[in-house]
Amino acid sequence: MARSMCWHCQSEVAGEYFCERCVKVQPLSKEQDYFTCLGLPRLLTIDATGLENKFYEMSRSFHPDFYQTKTDTERTISLGNSALLNTAYRTLKDPIQRAEYLVRLEAGAVKEIRNQPPADLFEEILSLQDDLEEFRAADGQPSADLTALRTKLQTDREALERRQQDMESRLFDLFETWDRLQRQFEPTEAIRAKKESVLKEMRELLSNRTYVRNIINDLVATVG
Amino acid sequence: MAYSEKVVDHFNNPRNVGSFKKEEDGVGTGIVGAPECGDVMKLQIKVQNDTIVDAKFKTFGCGSAIASSSLATEWLKGKTVDEAGKIKNTDIVQELNLPPVKIHCSVLAEDAIKAALADYKKKEDGKETVK
Repeated sequence: MARSMCWHCQSEVAGEYFCERCVKVQPLSKEQDYFTCLGLPRLLTIDATGLENKFYEMSRSFHPDFYQTKTDTERTISLGNSALLNTAYRTLKDPIQRAEYLVRLEAGAVKEIRNQPPADLFEEILSLQDDLEEFRAADGQPSADLTALRTKLQTDREALERRQQDMESRLFDLFETWDRLQRQFEPTEAIRAKKESVLKEMRELLSNRTYVRNIINDLVATVG
Repeated sequence: MAYSEKVVDHFNNPRNVGSFKKEEDGVGTGIVGAPECGDVMKLQIKVQNDTIVDAKFKTFGCGSAIASSSLATEWLKGKTVDEAGKIKNTDIVQELNLPPVKIHCSVLAEDAIKAALADYKKKEDGKETVK
């Protein structure tokens, strides 16, 4: 990452994280995105081992432990870089967070991707919430109704879990589509439009998945 | 982060929890969600002679979302349909002292009000064409 000038010796910085002349650590730009930070292209399929190795390598360069005896400025840079690096790694390591992050990043380029709210899903969640309320109100007092309700809620939960899996496998299919489009050297209008629609579908899947995830968590916590 | 006293109060004693029958005359229903947190909110109004005579909500979400919708139903009662459309999420933020990370909860409440009003208007327009 070539930066214009070393904060310490004012010479042109050619090295990646350190000034080649005075060997001082350089701050990572706050503007760079997590992919750039970890030296990755903006693709969704990631080599997990490669990512981990890169993270360890960079951690070794920036870790605050190695800056205990250095100047205040260097310690601050080491802290800032480590914090950015940790967030970047944590975000990109998890495929769902990675996709959410990419969609957010690209949202600027693809302006106005607003989704139709999933009205059916909301209705379903609210009616499940009503059932859950009823279940909680029964307070474990055994009755035939409660047993029936428990069975119903368990069946609902299984169905929701299957739906979550379907959403995720569709999402991972889209990872491949995205990567293929992203690798095109000269993006035509058609490719741009295709990318936009992939982002839109991913965003929709991700947000619906969050709703489904939440209700599943509630079901698990209440019914078990 | 601590919740303000007003949020805690609305959370512990939510006003107007419940629902009306969707098909009932003069009832407008708004169901909205926040993809950031997975919260879902249902807000309903009951209108007579252009005035909101009653409002109910059901929210599945965090304390701030519950407080925002509870407050919204309180404010809606007694307002005309036009006045109700002027309620802004910033009013809710101010009243409840919501921190920046919870602003989307108030946006959700504003969206729910708008959706309920739109649903009511749509139902009314539908009636006129039938006549």
